[in-house]
Amino acid sequence: MAFLEVNGIQKSFGKNEVLKNVGFSMEKGEVLAIIGSSGSGKTTLLRCLNFLERADSGSFSVDGEELFNAEKTYTDKEKREKRLRFGLVFQQFNLFPQYTVLKNVSLARELLETDGKKLAKDEKRRIFKEIEDNSRQLLATVGLAEKAGDYPCNLSGGQQQRVAIARALALSPDILCFDEPTSALDPELTGEVLRVIRELKSTDRTMIVVTHEMNFARGVADKVIFMANGVIEEEGTPDEVFGNPKSPRTKAFLEKSLENI
Amino acid sequence: MSFLEVTAQLANGFLTTLLIFGITLVCSLPLGLLITFGSMSKIPPIKWLVKTFVWIIRGTPLMLQIIIVFYGPGLIFGWDSLPRLAAVLVAFVINYSCYFSEIYRGGIESIPKGQYEAGQVLGMTKKQIFFKIVLFQVIKRIVPPMGNEIITLVKDTSLARVIMVVELVQAAQQIVAQKAIIWPMFYIGAFYLLFSGLLTILLNRVEKKLNYYHS
Ligand SMILES: Nc1ncnc2c1ncn2[C@@H]1O[C@H](COP(=O)(O)OP(=O)(O)OP(=O)(O)O)[C@@H](O)[C@H]1O
Ligand SMILES: [Mg+2]
Repeated sequence: MAFLEVNGIQKSFGKNEVLKNVGFSMEKGEVLAIIGSSGSGKTTLLRCLNFLERADSGSFSVDGEELFNAEKTYTDKEKREKRLRFGLVFQQFNLFPQYTVLKNVSLARELLETDGKKLAKDEKRRIFKEIEDNSRQLLATVGLAEKAGDYPCNLSGGQQQRVAIARALALSPDILCFDEPTSALDPELTGEVLRVIRELKSTDRTMIVVTHEMNFARGVADKVIFMANGVIEEEGTPDEVFGNPKSPRTKAFLEKSLENI
Repeated sequence: MSFLEVTAQLANGFLTTLLIFGITLVCSLPLGLLITFGSMSKIPPIKWLVKTFVWIIRGTPLMLQIIIVFYGPGLIFGWDSLPRLAAVLVAFVINYSCYFSEIYRGGIESIPKGQYEAGQVLGMTKKQIFFKIVLFQVIKRIVPPMGNEIITLVKDTSLARVIMVVELVQAAQQIVAQKAIIWPMFYIGAFYLLFSGLLTILLNRVEKKLNYYHS
């Protein structure tokens, strides 16, 4: 059984069937790139995996453990536990503006480990210290150690997105998802974010990256999925999909995106 | 009547003004939030009931509401009416809660969906998302409109005299009627200006404090 198994995901918004029986799998440490034209359902797929949308049918499992099955209902608490298997980096960063960079990274873990729990004062202090050290380390990983005390509004878009990546890593997700992490950035800032993702790959992070950066997908991904109209039109290694696409739709899409460069 | 005597008598009225102001503020701020939750409820009957109530309160003059709270129970049910000051406080608290609730609602609705979703994917509970992420951003956004409303409240307190509560204007009015002098009426203007001036300074400070970030 693969590390991530996604089976028969179907999702409609009203009459609009956005995902039609989407299934795929990936192994631990792999990077999966999802490409496809606008409206093909890429974001919706990531949102289903992260429990932001509820698929109408289908299921998925990580490491052999079923996390979601459309036939079952889950309590909020169950959902919260399960979704921690995944992390999500948004196109628009969605940092918390009132908190420092450091607090953005540490907040969720602090709440998870201390909120509503009866802890002795020094126990609590120890936990906070440990989380802070860990958060600073993560900021160093994304090259922002010296920005820990700044507020997000004083950072460039590229820096904000790197903070968002550190924030997502803070909860040690098994699989980190990116939804067009560079689409909201000026072209000269995309490089720094893509570099961080490349570095994460070198530490064997399992990642799903929805992207319009074809060169990046080709260079970094172990596996590429091309989505069209809510189905996986083609999947394979980057060389297969980019070098020798079988589907005419894939071909047309790739030609068009090359024109745009 | 000497200046000092007038001042002392007006100060008495001003205390009542301050009382109405303070109690209305302290009670309406939390009650308004409760009304906001009602008007944003996912249960349609609650939502529409609360919205209709807010519409009625905001759509009628506060003066009328004071009169109804004071005379209504007696005329309709034959009950004893509330003490005058209590009736004023009830009307003010209800009225201002409704105004505040609309400001809160505007503030809450202005927070981008992405903030909630970021909290959700980080495993936060609904309560944590509201109190740790959304609330502070809402407060920052609503301080300016709240400030306006609070300054309005200072002046609205004078409506209490419609049921003969001796607040500042009524206190001056009594002096004018008894002593046939007009200047106390102008004098109380200074009380209002001073008080609202102080509040403005205070509110500006709060606003500045919250301006350490922009979104
Ligand atoms: N919450 C929603 N309610 C209704 N329709 C939605 C909703 N979210 C997405 N859709 C629709 O689902 C379809 C797929 O959207 P999705 O955002 O998943 O596409 P995408 O592949 O991510 O596109 P893009 O490249 O533009 O980001 C679109 O037609 C969109 O209008
Ligand atoms: Mg999208």
